[in-house]
Amino acid sequence: MAQPFIHTKDLWYSYREDDAHSTPVLRGISLDIARGEYVAILGHNGSGKSTLAKLFNAILEPDSGELTVAGTDLASPELTEDEIFALRREVGMVFQNPDNQLVATIVEEDVAFGPENLGVPSAQIRARVDAALAAVGMSEYAGSEPHRLSGGQKQRVAIAGILAMQPSCMIFDESTAMLDPKGRREVIETFERLNREQGITVLTITHYMNEAARADRVIVIDDGRVLMDGTPREVFANTEALLAAGLDVPQCTALVHALRREGVALTGEPITTEECAELICRALEVQ
Amino acid sequence: MATLTLEQVSYVYNPRTPFAVEALDDVSLTVRDGRVTGIIGHTGSGKSTLVQLLNGLEKPSSGRILLDGEDIWARPKEMKKIRHRVGLVMQYPEYQLFEETVRADIAFGPRNMGLSEEEIAVRIDEAAAFVGLELSLLDKSPFDLSGGEKRRAAVAGVMAMRPEVLVLDEPAAGLDPRGRDTILQGIRRYADATGSTVVIVSHSMEDMAAYCDDIIVMAHAKVYLSGTRDEVFAHADALASVGLDVPQITKLAQLLRARGVELPQGIYTVQAALEALRPLFQ
Repeated sequence: MAQPFIHTKDLWYSYREDDAHSTPVLRGISLDIARGEYVAILGHNGSGKSTLAKLFNAILEPDSGELTVAGTDLASPELTEDEIFALRREVGMVFQNPDNQLVATIVEEDVAFGPENLGVPSAQIRARVDAALAAVGMSEYAGSEPHRLSGGQKQRVAIAGILAMQPSCMIFDESTAMLDPKGRREVIETFERLNREQGITVLTITHYMNEAARADRVIVIDDGRVLMDGTPREVFANTEALLAAGLDVPQCTALVHALRREGVALTGEPITTEECAELICRALEVQ
Repeated sequence: MATLTLEQVSYVYNPRTPFAVEALDDVSLTVRDGRVTGIIGHTGSGKSTLVQLLNGLEKPSSGRILLDGEDIWARPKEMKKIRHRVGLVMQYPEYQLFEETVRADIAFGPRNMGLSEEEIAVRIDEAAAFVGLELSLLDKSPFDLSGGEKRRAAVAGVMAMRPEVLVLDEPAAGLDPRGRDTILQGIRRYADATGSTVVIVSHSMEDMAAYCDDIIVMAHAKVYLSGTRDEVFAHADALASVGLDVPQITKLAQLLRARGVELPQGIYTVQAALEALRPLFQ
């Protein structure tokens, strides 16, 4: 088997504000994520999921355990500044607040900021910026001022800024939390397309169960450990355990489980609205 | 306890400049007394501007805002009184916690109103109970609380002023599902127990459908739809055309009805769907 893109084994991390109170946030995380996967990470506030993302991007250093990302050993005591710099080019992060991520006064300058910092020759920067804006569907806004864009458009510019550095992985840390339904759809459709067409590994941290249901794989983090890891169908089948972890399941999944508890025979684990309608119609023998 | 009415309100940012933007365009609406009203709308639809107008943080460019029939700008010097009557919880209010203890933070508003210490103590306990904040947390530093608890402490601080109208801008944004339910249930409990008028701004159709009585949909600086929850969510296609959505369970009910399953209108929660389907399986 090829080397996983992200590999962790018994990974521990604690925030140390003072030595007396260092409660570990991550307590032995072991998981492998392959290149090109589309993974949703769920967990209640404070479960450790954002901490994990910051370790993947070398914003934080692990206390102990194995952590390899894009072939770089991030747990190594000999890790150099250059290696960290190279890794951050490889693994880009998009954060929650669209207003905190754009730095320039014109959209295309903002997208050029990353490659300029990388020392990419200016002829190539033009091409990269154009390609990145096209990939997120924002070409027509190249000359716009970022503050005039909607939240979803700002997030897409932030994504383009990362794309222009040609990363192999993008991490979305609740990047849709502050957006309206349309903006949320724009961002999700953008990263799903990048995953599908450019093979970019996508990790999305979210509180929206409907969003997680679209991923290929769902990892649930609870109190610093991996509680569940599987396809959305497998994970959302564990309704009770998810509720106990302060999470939720898509409304359709919850309905099917509630009906089943009342003795209605329904076979299957629907996660989309259409699958759920089909299952209920079949059970009711409606054509 | 109070009715808020907007009469032909317009609001323009940067008026008389090339950058003028009309955030609200001739908006007339009524927030009904004692009801929980949800305001939804896409980004830039004007809903946050609307919220800032409701308690006089911004003044309309034209039109009037009436609190129980009285123009809130009739006596600008008494705006402080209006702000005690219309309490506003801004987005991410936990960033505004600053006192040494949670108790002191909740007490800040009531103390500013000049209430007695006995009365303030009563109100702190009452507000903490509404938002489900354990009494043992009250003597901690707000900075030792979890994100969800901080949010609830900030909301309690405004509830403790017992405003006649409580306005909350995205009270559940960024919280996990349990945190979201806890804060929204607390707001509903407050509305039911005190009879106060409550306005909630949110992007979450699921939350609006589960907790609000009335819904106002804003789009392109105007009121696009308004009415009771049932009236508004019956217009799924109209909502979709302005970038909004109906809850997943409501979509499921529509699909089932289209295939001949006899379900009533107005299914917004898993519980309601379960109750409607139960007899069909017997």
